[in-house]
Amino acid sequence: MKKTTRVKMPQDQDISPDMSVDVGGLKLKNPVLLASGTCGYGVEIGDLIDLSALGGIVVKGLSLKPRQGNPPPRIAETPCGLLNSIGLENIGIEAFIRDKLPWLRKINTRVIVNILGNSQEEYASLARRIDGTDGIDAIEVNISCPNVLAGGLAIGADPNAAAGVTRAVKAATGLPVIVKLSPNVTDIVEIARAVTAAGADAISLINTPLGMAIDIDKRRPALGNVVGGLSGPAIKPIALRMVWQVAGAIDVPIIGIGGISSASDALEFLMAGASAIEVGTATLVKPSVAIDIIAGVRDYMKKNNFLRIDDLPIPRD
Amino acid sequence: MARYDLSAEIKKNEKLSDDVFLMTILAPEIARAARPGQFCMLSVNGNLRSDPLLRRPLSIFDSGDSGDISFLYKVTGRGTDILSQKKEGDSLDIIGPLGRGFRLDHSGPRILAGGGMGVAPLHFLAKRLEGAFSVILGAKTKGEILPVVKTFEASAERLLITTEDGSLGEKGLVTAMLEKELCLSKKNVLIHTCGPWPMMRAVHDLTVKFGTRCEASLEAGMACGIGACLGCAVKKTSGGYLHVCKDGPVTDSTEIDWEI
Repeated sequence: MKKTTRVKMPQDQDISPDMSVDVGGLKLKNPVLLASGTCGYGVEIGDLIDLSALGGIVVKGLSLKPRQGNPPPRIAETPCGLLNSIGLENIGIEAFIRDKLPWLRKINTRVIVNILGNSQEEYASLARRIDGTDGIDAIEVNISCPNVLAGGLAIGADPNAAAGVTRAVKAATGLPVIVKLSPNVTDIVEIARAVTAAGADAISLINTPLGMAIDIDKRRPALGNVVGGLSGPAIKPIALRMVWQVAGAIDVPIIGIGGISSASDALEFLMAGASAIEVGTATLVKPSVAIDIIAGVRDYMKKNNFLRIDDLPIPRD
Repeated sequence: MARYDLSAEIKKNEKLSDDVFLMTILAPEIARAARPGQFCMLSVNGNLRSDPLLRRPLSIFDSGDSGDISFLYKVTGRGTDILSQKKEGDSLDIIGPLGRGFRLDHSGPRILAGGGMGVAPLHFLAKRLEGAFSVILGAKTKGEILPVVKTFEASAERLLITTEDGSLGEKGLVTAMLEKELCLSKKNVLIHTCGPWPMMRAVHDLTVKFGTRCEASLEAGMACGIGACLGCAVKKTSGGYLHVCKDGPVTDSTEIDWEI
């Protein structure tokens, strides 16, 4: 378990808190990232917000070959949440490196590439391709998407398979490797331990819990894929619980994800033991929300005399 | 193309009939940049409440030099119900203008064919078009379109009205009236259509039959409106999907696989 000693800011001095964090070797200017699948490849949102103000951006999940994604309807609104079955539509790693990365390189922020595959070898190939590419700072391994039949959740729910993919990616790259976990498991700690033992530099959690909605007028499932991933404020308590559980069990840094829509949400995750957070669905509703969150966390730290992000987690013993 | 994320003031939110409203917002940056066929994402709840969570995509009904931008909408669910309760002076978060609009550079004759709330983007188009064009407006009943008929009268060379219950204009469907028009029309006619999916599919079928071009303004559930989430997918004839928010909403009707 990570132990922290709180360092109080000297009184009567106006010192700005240090917002920088080190997440398993990935150095961020502040702990706020945009979550994969909610900010495109950056360029889609780059004129609406100042991406350079962020700790980083996790681009849309990429596979070796382009993927078309799932049939529509792909989204359904639920109380305080969003169900999606996008199905990992993406342009493929080569098109990303050729068409999107040059633009991203000009932005002064960290770029984390989320990867997905159907086999250990596919994950390893993606990691090898990324390893020699300028402008990519870390890899987030998606073993947790609920919207594909092969790979995805099947890997994320099996500790051995999850560890195998982690090991394969680690062997293929020198970049920090963040493994993104699924909440659709009986014991999140078991999976977290398995990927940590396999060498994960950090863990991000959670991906979307599996859900469903039915359109009673059309008398059919609301999503073309029938089931989808639930995101948004509705899932925050589940995500926070899982971050707390995993933070109490493992030593590698955690990136908290799940329904974070405000600075107070972000602070809850940081106090639960996360070193950084990803903002997802909230960005779809308000593109600039991550910028507001950074300002809000900074204000809280100043007001409460915290010098560093690492001082925020609640001591457990 | 410039687009903006603003907090703007509501100037008017008029009730035009039982469930149809016209909201006018002061947003000069968006109003100046907007082109016919584009849309905006409107926050119904403000930032702090999460239910309903998503913004609502609404096509632009009108925009002009005054800095005002307006939206015609029908109350169909919780989001539009909340929107209908907004008052003059309230502020509202709005992102726009978004998406691909109608073609303005066509030199031949045009027919605008709108059904229900699909008349909204056609209204903006009609105000910006130069030269002669015909308009066909259709609805279930007169309450849906009566409030906007007058504004089309001023710009259209021919205005044809049809309602399913016969309460206004001729009784019947937009497509029946469009077919008559196409029989009379000259070559190189461009059709702009917006309305329910089955109506636009039927309009597309007619344009295939008559060998003319058609632009359809599509509607789809969307979360972001800016091409980030890829939620608003529609099947293409060439395989794969297009995304209504950035590849549309206005698309050549031959690009769409209408058979869903």
